[in-house]
Amino acid sequence: MWRPGNIDRPTGVFVGLLVLSLALVTVDLRASGGGLGTTLRDGAQTLFAPVERVVASATRPVADAFENLSNLFSLSADNQRLRAQVADLERQLQETESLQVRVSELEALLGVDPPAGLDSIAAQVLAVGVSEFDQVRVIDKGSDDGVGIDMPVVDEGGLIGRVVAVTGSVSRVRLITDPTIHIAVRIERTGETGVLTGRGSGPMVLELFNTDAAVVEGDLLVTADGRFPAGIPVARVRTAARAEVGFSLRTTADPVAGLTSIDFVRVLVFTRDEATVGDLEDQERLPATVPSDSGSQSEGDADQLPTTTTSTTQGGSTP
Amino acid sequence: MKLRRLVAVVVIVLIAAALQTTMFARLRPFDSAPALVLLVVIAFARHIPAEAALILGFGAGVLQDLLADSPLGLWALVFTSAAYFVLRFRDRLEDDFSLIGPFVFAVTAGSLALFSVLGTIFGEKTLADVGIIKKVLLPSLYNMLLAALILPFATWVLGAARRRTTPFEL
Repeated sequence: MWRPGNIDRPTGVFVGLLVLSLALVTVDLRASGGGLGTTLRDGAQTLFAPVERVVASATRPVADAFENLSNLFSLSADNQRLRAQVADLERQLQETESLQVRVSELEALLGVDPPAGLDSIAAQVLAVGVSEFDQVRVIDKGSDDGVGIDMPVVDEGGLIGRVVAVTGSVSRVRLITDPTIHIAVRIERTGETGVLTGRGSGPMVLELFNTDAAVVEGDLLVTADGRFPAGIPVARVRTAARAEVGFSLRTTADPVAGLTSIDFVRVLVFTRDEATVGDLEDQERLPATVPSDSGSQSEGDADQLPTTTTSTTQGGSTP
Repeated sequence: MKLRRLVAVVVIVLIAAALQTTMFARLRPFDSAPALVLLVVIAFARHIPAEAALILGFGAGVLQDLLADSPLGLWALVFTSAAYFVLRFRDRLEDDFSLIGPFVFAVTAGSLALFSVLGTIFGEKTLADVGIIKKVLLPSLYNMLLAALILPFATWVLGAARRRTTPFEL
């Protein structure tokens, strides 16, 4: 018969620590993003940031050497790809310039005010998540620099994630590939809206609301109205798909931002509209958050969003 | 455990966490990195007293929880379990050194798999990650390779391989 006295002391300590761990998990989950857990995390991040800075600068030569070595093998292929990309971008730039002139003329004709600009804060990635399961980045700007919770973070490619925790000097950014992240997106080509969901290290999952819609490979997905400012490039469709009757359309998409090699980022000074946008992460009101006819209205705005410039334009906001 | 050794262990755990979040953010062969903090816990748990090893596992886990995005206590539970597993088998390991590499691989893989399951239970959707197998196996492999450096280093830091004051006997 089992008695408490039968177990040895280390096993007793082990069981006690397991119970304590489970109690911590329960308390942290019940606080749901607030309380003691958040206070401790913010404190730890503040205290640990200087250690990370020192270690990062001390180990930079080692990391640089490794990166240079691994880049050697891909230099030739990268060169060819970049040349093709430059040619394509030059062509797109010419088209965009003529379109911008036309949009300005139409705005003046219709009496529409141009979209308001969004300020941005440049930051450097200080550290990554401590485990392979963490889809987070720590950046070297915090509330002292104007960074706030929920602000979108972008790089030169597109959306990286959003700020989920802020201390005075550093902030934590949750990447769009985190499985708990759901983003309202719009296909730039057709205006169809849907939801993009992270799946960790793999491609993201796109689910469209319109069952008659079709997507082709390479379709650019941009943010729709909601948690993020509309029109920020998020991902490109990986596989073409057409919905079967009665089912929603599901396919995969690759993020356009270089999530594995980000170094410098920009935090967009933008706060979502709580009154009009439900929390997509709760998945409670997914279809209602993105009106099906919003695509055509904001499509034009998306075309004129210079999201790779210092000041990002906010377009297509809910009137 | 003497105060000097305790301070050394704490400092090494902190440095391991800092290396994990900075250097191994860029040094990622096959887009993966070792679970260095876990490896340090395994390395020290082989030598220090049983209760100290469990508390070290718990403390290092709490540190990782504070730096991670998961619920507070999840990594603490996993690391404490890993330390307990090391305690149960450390005497056998000293009889046969050839088992140390596979043992480190098994403990790391088991710990990461345990975290994946617990993370999913507690709403982190860790098993929804399409690269979950890779995220468990590659860090385990790297830990097994790094064990050749870290385990002797831990032994050297503690001064000797066999200075336990409370041997773990079941």
